[in-house]
Amino acid sequence: MIRTGRRIVAILAAVCTGVLGISTAAAQSDHEKQLYDGARKEGQLTWYTAHYDQALATKIGKAFTQKYPGVQANVIKATAQVSFQRLLQDIKAGQVQSDVFSSTDVSHFVYLKQKGDLEKYVPENERKIVAAFQNVDPDGFSAVTWAGLVAISYNRDKVHEAEAPNNWPILADPKWTGKVAVGDPNFSGMVGVWTVAMARLYGWDYFKKLNQGKPLIGRSIDDSVTVLNAGERVVAAADPAPTLRSAAKGNPLAVIYPTDGAVAIIGPSGIIKGAKSPNAGKLFLEFLLSTEAAKLVAENFEQSLRPEVTPPPGAKSLAEVKIVRPSIEEIAKDLPANKERWKETFGM
Amino acid sequence: MKLAASEGTAKGPAGIRPARPGPLIGFDSALLLWLLAVAVLALLVLNPLLRLVIASFQATETGEFTLANYPLAYSPRGVRALLNSLFYSGAVTVVAALLALPIAWAMSRTDMPGKAFVRALVLGAFITPSYLGAVGWILLAGPNAGWINRVWMGLTGSQSGLLDIYGFSGLVFVTALYGFPYMFVFTADALDLVSSEMEEAANILGAGMLRTTIRITLPLVLPAILGGAIITFLDTMALFGTPAIIALPARINVMTLQLWQFFEFPVRAEAAAAYAIPLILITCLLFGARRLLLGRRGYVTLTGKGEGRTRMRTGPWRWVLLGYSLLVCTLAVFLPFAALAQAAFSRAWGRGFSLENLTLGNFEYLLFQQFNARQTILHSFTYSAAAACLAVALGLAIAYIVDRRLVPFGNALTLLATAPFVIPGIVLAIGFYAAYAAPPFALYGTAAILVLAFTTRFLPIAYVNCLAALRAINPEMEEQVRILGCGRIKAIARVVAPLLKKSLAGSWLLVFIPATRELSTAIFLVGANTRVVSVMLLDLSEDGNFETLSALGIILLASTILIALAGYKLLGRDVLLRKA
Repeated sequence: MIRTGRRIVAILAAVCTGVLGISTAAAQSDHEKQLYDGARKEGQLTWYTAHYDQALATKIGKAFTQKYPGVQANVIKATAQVSFQRLLQDIKAGQVQSDVFSSTDVSHFVYLKQKGDLEKYVPENERKIVAAFQNVDPDGFSAVTWAGLVAISYNRDKVHEAEAPNNWPILADPKWTGKVAVGDPNFSGMVGVWTVAMARLYGWDYFKKLNQGKPLIGRSIDDSVTVLNAGERVVAAADPAPTLRSAAKGNPLAVIYPTDGAVAIIGPSGIIKGAKSPNAGKLFLEFLLSTEAAKLVAENFEQSLRPEVTPPPGAKSLAEVKIVRPSIEEIAKDLPANKERWKETFGM
Repeated sequence: MKLAASEGTAKGPAGIRPARPGPLIGFDSALLLWLLAVAVLALLVLNPLLRLVIASFQATETGEFTLANYPLAYSPRGVRALLNSLFYSGAVTVVAALLALPIAWAMSRTDMPGKAFVRALVLGAFITPSYLGAVGWILLAGPNAGWINRVWMGLTGSQSGLLDIYGFSGLVFVTALYGFPYMFVFTADALDLVSSEMEEAANILGAGMLRTTIRITLPLVLPAILGGAIITFLDTMALFGTPAIIALPARINVMTLQLWQFFEFPVRAEAAAAYAIPLILITCLLFGARRLLLGRRGYVTLTGKGEGRTRMRTGPWRWVLLGYSLLVCTLAVFLPFAALAQAAFSRAWGRGFSLENLTLGNFEYLLFQQFNARQTILHSFTYSAAAACLAVALGLAIAYIVDRRLVPFGNALTLLATAPFVIPGIVLAIGFYAAYAAPPFALYGTAAILVLAFTTRFLPIAYVNCLAALRAINPEMEEQVRILGCGRIKAIARVVAPLLKKSLAGSWLLVFIPATRELSTAIFLVGANTRVVSVMLLDLSEDGNFETLSALGIILLASTILIALAGYKLLGRDVLLRKA
């Protein structure tokens, strides 16, 4: 009895979504319609992602299916290195499981492109995102779908806004001795890119000076948020997203976007060659760059790539802050050496 | 025990009908059992180990033979991290002994009051994931804002705090607080089995309490203490969570942190394998040293079930003993969990205590809003339960074969079954990764690889436990059944297993509890759809989502305690913290 009941509900749901599908399809561009037609035949896609946390990634997958009924998005969220290992494992075994791969580590895409494991696709929506993040791969094998920042976070109970450091050199000033927290480039990709930017702006001496101020070194960039809340340290090189998420709960945290530039870390996405659902994959890539996805992302205090989406309270949009973005080549060239020098400078 | 056993036999044969002649069937089934046990052991222990050795000589891209992984792994920094780890583990072992031994002794040999309570608290420390304890201790003893330091600064007007968790001593202290229960279990168990006749003799000859304890009792349980010390040492070598939280900010590089870096892009699993090989040698050396130390006095362990034990009267000292036990348990359980609870029940934990900041929202979010969290908790418990079942079944099979001397190569089986003791969890995970992640097994990201890894990791606990329990059963009872015409398998199923019910359930829990908090193996093997709580806790700590992290930690603690309490109820109190 219950089973039949469920079946009826399922059929009803299918009918309803079918009707809705037709109505949404009406507002689509030709390109989008073409992809959607193909995607509906494929029925589903799989997204290996290191972007966002599990809850937000799942939400984005659901929103996609809502917009494009009949195309299921299987969201598989893991850390960047785990996702990448899994992808390589699939490719090695000749069984590509994922259609779209999103990572926070650009070197993954350098590697995949070199190996010929990516399918060329330039999303139509790419020209609608903040200019600095367009056309990062001129050959069109991947597109930036996520951007993270390293800025300065501080504890509002312990530091007045006027006193808080508003550029990177101040963070290394003796005034802040024993009060600063940072991450470790050997454990965090975001901190790695930050070291590339800082060393290029101020030379490696910046870190020697920073070390004299006895910073607390965490593993991940986001450990800083915990340390600031505990009051153990009062200012930190940190990611605004978790800082603002924590502040929204009522914690005494705030973000300053440094005048000499918040460091941007890009997270590309690409279609895997040999994917089972290439149309759905491409459609999903378009969706990741849509205003719908950008709104979900911004609600969760992550950076929206679409300039027209209003940032949440306390945050600034990518279009209105000064940004330093080391290029993929600069990162590839500097980062391995920086990791070693970091160990020397900070005595690990 | 013996009385219960003979009752069991009295009932047993009545229900079993005489059938075909036994010996041939018995021989066959035992052979099958032996072959099966060897096959499973080889799969679980030998295969990953061999893969580890082979991988350490392979080039990352091509798989060709190379020696390059070794210099890569053993850079001066790698060597220093290894030395740091050895020193760290040694120090933790010593501190854990100082924490565990007096409590174990007081519990087993004296008239200390409040034993049940203390036992429950030691259990609390046992089930606390050590990295969760470490987070709690950062809140307590962070140099600038730790509770203890703030109280100290408030009381004395001092400008700096009393304690700094971010240092070698802080690291050792926190690790030892969660490592001592192993040592406690081993020692208390041995003390329970030792008859007190010799202590009484010493007393009669005029030795005081202290002298008796040091000269008589301590040597008697030395093998157990050394066993516990080796487990604590190896556990610490393989520990990842606490060093990630405390050693890194303290700028102390240890082996597990170094290993982790091989798994950053570009992943060099082969170099990690090369780095792990000498650990196996180190651990073999430890067991060798133990044998050397104890070889000539093996007789002391043969006392069997102690009979006629008397508790030492310690007079007013019993309150001192209780005070010490409670102090240790306060440090390990009460204080850190108080700190975590503050965050777990806060809207914004950075705001401190206030009524309006109080909420149950973090728990509601985890249990009712976020589908993933519930699934993750479920994963942890089901994988651990599956691993516990497998480990106990395998442990019992091997223990039976070895104890009843059914095959000529029993010692080889013992070696294999206890070998996972000598493989630190993180190394085991690398071996599993090499052996089973890629085709033909292609277990990467499946639940099976986690269950198998947990089974292997905790198999020694189950094996040792089953062996001890089997030794308490007189083989004559099964022999009677077999004379009546039953096969070996039937004798095991109808006689041995029912008699061992309590011990088996005890072993099951001793595997289940550490499996639920296992991080070092899981972190390498967990896939996108097989997340477990320990990995999720670490993820949450990286998201800076501390309120939810603490709530999840408390849910984990509470549910494990519930399971443990159910165990208490079903099986009687002692099984949980005794090996047999």
